[in-house]
Order: sequence, then C-alpha cells, then structure tokens
Amino acid sequence: MFTRGALLYIGQRLVLIVFTAVAVSSIVFLGVHRLPGDALLNERRPDPAAEAALLHYYHLDLPLPEQYVRYVTGLLHGDLGESYVNRGVQIMPLLLREARVSAEVGAAAIVFTVGIGILLGVIAAVRQNTWVDYLATTTSVIGYSMPNFVIASLLFLLFGIGLYAWTGGALYYNSGWTGTYGTFDQILIPGFALGFPYASIVARLTRASMLEVIRQDYVRTARAKGLTSRVVVIRHALRNALIPVVTILGPLVIGIVTGSVVIENIFGIPGLGKEFATSILNRDYNIVIGLFTFYAIIIALANLLVDLLYTVIDPRIRY
Amino acid sequence: MSDLFVGKLRAVRPLAVLGTIGVLVAACGGTSTAGTGLAADQTLRFPSDSAIGTLDPAQINAETDVEIYQNLFDGLLKFDDKLNVVPDIATSLPTISSDGLTYTFKLNPKAKFWNGHAVKASDFIYSFSRSAAEGQDAYGGNFDHVVGYDVVSTTKDWAHNQKMLSGMSAPDDQTLVIKLTSPWGVFNTELALAAAAQVVDPTVVNQDDANWWSTPATAVGTGPYKMVSYTPKQSIAFDAVPNWWGSPQPTVQHVKMDFIGDMAQGVSKFEQGGYDLVGYGGMGSDISPDDILRIQKDPTLSKNLKFVNKVRTIWVQYGFGRADSVFKGDLASGPAHDLRMAFSLAIDRAQLVQVACAGGITCSAADGGLITKGLKGYAGDGSDPLAKFDATQAKALLKSGDPTGKKTANLTYYYDPNKAIYKATAENVQSQWQTNLGIHVNIQPIDHATFIKNYTHHQYNLFREGWQADYDHPQDWFDNLFIKGGGSNGGEFTDPMVESLVAKADAEPDINKAIPDYISANKQMMADAAYAPLVYFKGEFLFKPYLQGAGSNNFNDFYWNEMKIGSH
Repeated sequence: MFTRGALLYIGQRLVLIVFTAVAVSSIVFLGVHRLPGDALLNERRPDPAAEAALLHYYHLDLPLPEQYVRYVTGLLHGDLGESYVNRGVQIMPLLLREARVSAEVGAAAIVFTVGIGILLGVIAAVRQNTWVDYLATTTSVIGYSMPNFVIASLLFLLFGIGLYAWTGGALYYNSGWTGTYGTFDQILIPGFALGFPYASIVARLTRASMLEVIRQDYVRTARAKGLTSRVVVIRHALRNALIPVVTILGPLVIGIVTGSVVIENIFGIPGLGKEFATSILNRDYNIVIGLFTFYAIIIALANLLVDLLYTVIDPRIRY
Repeated sequence: MSDLFVGKLRAVRPLAVLGTIGVLVAACGGTSTAGTGLAADQTLRFPSDSAIGTLDPAQINAETDVEIYQNLFDGLLKFDDKLNVVPDIATSLPTISSDGLTYTFKLNPKAKFWNGHAVKASDFIYSFSRSAAEGQDAYGGNFDHVVGYDVVSTTKDWAHNQKMLSGMSAPDDQTLVIKLTSPWGVFNTELALAAAAQVVDPTVVNQDDANWWSTPATAVGTGPYKMVSYTPKQSIAFDAVPNWWGSPQPTVQHVKMDFIGDMAQGVSKFEQGGYDLVGYGGMGSDISPDDILRIQKDPTLSKNLKFVNKVRTIWVQYGFGRADSVFKGDLASGPAHDLRMAFSLAIDRAQLVQVACAGGITCSAADGGLITKGLKGYAGDGSDPLAKFDATQAKALLKSGDPTGKKTANLTYYYDPNKAIYKATAENVQSQWQTNLGIHVNIQPIDHATFIKNYTHHQYNLFREGWQADYDHPQDWFDNLFIKGGGSNGGEFTDPMVESLVAKADAEPDINKAIPDYISANKQMMADAAYAPLVYFKGEFLFKPYLQGAGSNNFNDFYWNEMKIGSH
C-alpha cells in the first residue's frame, strides 16, 4: 500500500510526534508549576504538618527537576499519575475514556464538516447563480460568521427547550451523556454545532475549487464523451477540486479539537474538552499536562493523516 | 446532467427530514402507579456540576461528597433535617461524665454493613483512628481532643502502621468509651458531622486503603444506599440496600447523579423531565440568577423553586497583621478603628443585594453578625451595627481616620471572580466607597487558587473573605477565622477579649450555655469593627411537585431514604 519512501516518511513523522509530545508536556509541566496556588488549597487551611504531608503524598515537595524526571519517566511508561482533586482517579484511563467520548463527537463533527461542506459546495458550484447557489452560499456565510458556542446555544435552545415546549415533551434533544457511548442524538446535535462553522468554510472552498475545475478542458472532454453528470462531477471534477479542501482539513481538525472545549461544556459531554476547562480551573496539574500532551499528539497525527491523504487523492504526490 | 444529480438529492430530502426527527428522543413522562400514590419507577435523578473528590470518610472534604456520602455511611450521631444532633448507630446521645471528659455510647446491635458484617465498637476505634491519621488535610483534626490524638495524627503510613486512639476503648461490642484531654463542648456536633466520624469495615478497608471506596464491590458502608456504578467525572449511581438495618426504609430504590459541566444545562434538563430535582449535591447556590429570574416569571415552573438559607457569609476583611496595613491596630477606638468603621458604614447592603443577588433573591444582607442566619450563634436580625448604612457618619469617620487622605489614596480590594457574586459585590462596594466616601479603591480579581493561597498566607490588607460552615456550631467560625493562629484567619485579627470568650465557650459542653459567649465574642468584634459584613448566601432548589420528602436545611440535603417519588 505504501512505498518504502512513504513508510520512511511516516516513520520520521512519528518520531517527530514523540519529540513534540515530550516537548509540549515539558513546557506545560514547567508552566503549570510556575502558577501560584494549587489543587490542594481551600478556605479551610490545614495545619502546616498536614499540608506538608499532602504535598509529600503527591511528590509536590520534591525539587522541580526531580518532579520533572518522575513525570517524564511516568509519561514514557504511559502513566500520567493520579488526579489531585478526584482521589484515586488514575489519569491515563480517565483521559482514554474521555478521548473516546470526544472522538465520537469529533467524528460526527468531521462528518458534518466534510459531508455538508462538500455537498453544499458542489451543489452551489453546479447550480451556480441559481437560488440553490444563493441559499448554499448564504448558509455558508451564516455558518462561518457565527462562533460555535453561539450555534451550540441556539441549537440547545431550539431542540432542547423549544422543541420540548412545542411538542409537549414528545420530542426533544436529550442533553448530557448516557452510558459509555452516548446516544445518537446526544452525539448528533453537539457534532453539528461543532462541525457546522467548519463545514461552511469547506463549502466555500469546495465551491470555488469546483467552479475552477468544471471549466477545465478535461471536464469538458468528459462531458463530450457522454458521461453522466454524476460521473463527471464526482469522479472527474470533485476529486481534483478536493485537493485544496484536504489542505485545510488539518487546521480544521485542530479547530474541532479546540472547539470541543466549548461545545462539551455547553452540552455537558464528559470528554476531553470539558476536562480541559475543569482541570485548569482546579489546578489539577497532572491532568492539565496529560491533556496538552494528548492534544499535541492528536493534532500531530491529524496533520500526518492529511499529508497521507494527498497521496490518495492525487497520485502525482509521492513521499 | 447536473439536474439529474440535484434531482437525486431532492429524492432524499424527505428522508433527511425524517432522519432529523428520528434522532430526537421521544420522552414521555408518564409512569404507572401501584395504587399507593407512588410512581412505579422509584429512580431519583439529579445533576451536579462538580465531580466527586472522594467518598472515603477519612478524607472527605467537599460539600458535594458529603451530600452523597451521608446516605452511604453512618456515624454514632447525625443531624436530623432540623439540624438537631440525634443518635445514628448509637442508641441515644452519649452519657457524659461530670468532668466532661468521658463519653460513653451504646451501639444499636442491629447495625450492620451492607456486606452483612455487624458493626462493632472496635470498628469505630479503627475508623476514628484512621480518620485522625489519614484525614489531616480534611476533618481528621476533629478528634484532636481525644486522648492519644497526637500520637495517631502524626503516624506516617498509618495503613501499614496502624495505631489506635488510646482514649477510645470498647468494653464490649456494643459499648464505646471515648476519653478527651479537656472538656470540649463541640464534640457531639463533630461526631454528627458527615465527615471523618463515620464507621468503615476494617476487613474491607485494609485490603486497599487508598481506593476501597471507589469500587462498588468494596465501597461498603452502613447507610441505606450503596454505590452500584461510578464513572469518574461522568456519573455515579446508587441502589437502596435491601433490608437495611435502620429506618425509615428507603422508598427510592435507585439514585442516579450526572456530573454535568454547566448548571444551566441541569436546569433545562429538569424542565424537560430528565431530572427530578436540581440543587442537591451541594449545588444549591449554583443555579444562575438569570435562570432563577426566568423561572420566577413562569407560573408553572416557579412552583418548583425553593429558597433555603445556606451556611455561607461573605464580608470585607481588613489586614490586622501586616506592617503596611492602614487598618491595623486601634481595636476599640482610634484612627484605624474609625477607618474600618467608615468602610463598613459606607456600604448600603440593600443596594448591594439588589445588584449582586438578582434583586435580592439569591442572597440577603448580612446584618445579624458573621454567623449565617439560621445557624446557632446567629446574633439576630439587624443586630450588627457594622451593617448599618450611614454615609454621613462614614464620611465623618473617614475624616477622623484619614484626615489627609493619604492612607486611602491607593488601596486595593482583592477578590476571586470564580463566583459571579464575588465579582458583583466587589464592583458594588467599589462604587459605593467612591460615592459615599469619595475615595477610589482599586479592585483586583485574582484567580481562586492564587487568591486562597495569598489570603491564607496574609498577603492582603483589604479583601473578600467568607466562610462556609462545616457544622452548626459557632466554634467552627471563631476558631478558624478570628483566633490567633486560626488557619483561615487571613486578616490576622486578634483581640484578647474575643479569644477569652471563645475559649470559655468552646469548653462548655452545653451549646445553649455556650452561645451567649459566642455572641458576646461576635459583638466584641463588631465593636472592634473587625470586618465589613456583606451578604448571607441562599440556596436555590428546583423540586418536581411529585417529589415527597425532598428539601434541604442550611447545611445538608434531606436524606434520600426520606424521599418518595409520587405518581406523575
């Protein structure tokens, strides 16, 4: 499937990702330990001996370099330690579970981003200057003009509260997260809120790219050969039009990952985004460091995936 | 050709509409009844915007944890819904020796853990000793008057080096004797507190001292409910213990609690019927004022809204210890005293609660002393002269305290903006000081963790201070906040007369006899102008009308086993 050169390229990138993860976690480690205050403080201050015992339990009484070595050693063994706020909660299993939750919402968002974006873009291009084009373009403008937290709040208001009132409680968006995987609707609405602004960007880009491609000679030739419109659009035009779209997928994934911080808090989804906000506010150092590391890895892998997608879409690109 | 493509899309449009509808959950609220007026499904659901810290009696510290934990574990004593100390596993209140040093408890022979093990007096010796040793950052210090505490509390790695409080003994399985080093009138109250003083099963805890409480199979308690699932930071669920030894027997059979991110979401889900109540689990002050105002305007929803005075007071604290504090010294009279008085009298609390507390519905003016209204030691409505608003007198006092204006030229008030009310009160007192005293005080928000660290380390001269009572006894306020060396005495206030009155009251076993001394101590602090009172907090709760027995007092939610879910 991959050439030797491609495998070598992937290997190099993976090594770089490991270095990136260690570098990011180290910077965050040093940064959060510079912050005044910690997770163990509250208004009821324990006596100094108890405070010292607590710091000792979490190894926070060690010199910073020693704490750092302990941390990196743990990291390399896949152990991010224990939460300072939620006793006995091991961070790695917690983050893995939350990553799965976020991945479900993120995947829905990407499906919306790519699916709706490309669909709107293609329709707008093939029906250029018709009401369909105007509608798709207007929808896109609305989409990328509104921050995702506004869209999320509106959706929550509409489907969670409005629909409940209008249907007398027969139909509504059931917020939160049920069980391990959530329910379809619990994923769908947040996924839409997260993905819609990016779908609008993809739609604009796809439209512009399609308009350029469908005027090229090889498309005209394909039509002249008698191929159906669907075959021309999907097989010949869209494939080439997607190259610039794929280019922005990397940054879009980053946007979706960071956007989840807001969306998960609004919809009460127990994923990495919600954890990100609460752990920083709680000064839960180990979780903060683990999260930043996780995000760095996810974003680096997403960029690698996008780079590899180029070779699938455009065989002329090789590594 | 392109028409054909778009035509295909048209064909799937109805499907898309149906699909969209299909993903929305059909939720019907109807439940069948069994002729008892109760719902067939006795499952109680509610949210919390704070995840569990721990449910280990030795280390429990947070309000959310306490509210859950009190349904899973029992102690010798407990608080009833009216905050009276009543027997729990003990068959009656203890017999106290005439010198106030020996407490003797008789235990209920029916008491047992849900794993079937009978509760023995020796289990309490183990549990209290463990709390004293391992709960030093929580409520382990509540046993500091028990003989042997100093040895146990300083034991390293107690789990592997178990030392018991030498002042505790068990003449038989149903008799527990506790000896104190000195009379301590607060002891019964501390034993009733849902933290540190609950019994655990040594055979279970010894297997995994750190994590036994977090797994349903080993989270063994004596309470009417037991944990059946726990997903950290997501949700927790409990079932009623079959044939529980105590009473009343639980009617609610299942309790499900979600840890959500935002209480606004909890409110909307309550409105949808997804939750039976909002406010339990220590979340009684977390409903946003906007939601409360909206709900109040809704004729149906407003019937679900209840307000309860809670156990938190906030005030402006002056620095008494720092050399650079202009508020330092002159306890009874003098320029610094006048300055402190001026700052307090310049605040119109009626305006403050109007602005900072959603028109006065989420808090009330703290005009009856430091201790929150409804708690023992509350000095009485309007009894605090520091809460009086008198701009004319305030200006006169300012002139006496700072004739040149130099002292108050560059003051800063520090606060933590993690609660909206802290920010709102800071902005309002700044405005009122400007209007009523003619001085500009800078206000400086500091993130909560840093703020707490700084003020407990005496870094500020003018700051937001507050206290959420741990239990209903005035000792909790004075010893922590206004006694020399008190861990939360951020202003380093000290007055020998206050210290003397509090020491006398602390030693009095009968709280009713102790209260006048505590109130006198508070009045002395008023005379000292030791603080500028701001507001008492209220808790806001939403209860579905079909819930029976649900409610909350100043401290705690009512016990789950007192609740029933009516048909609806």
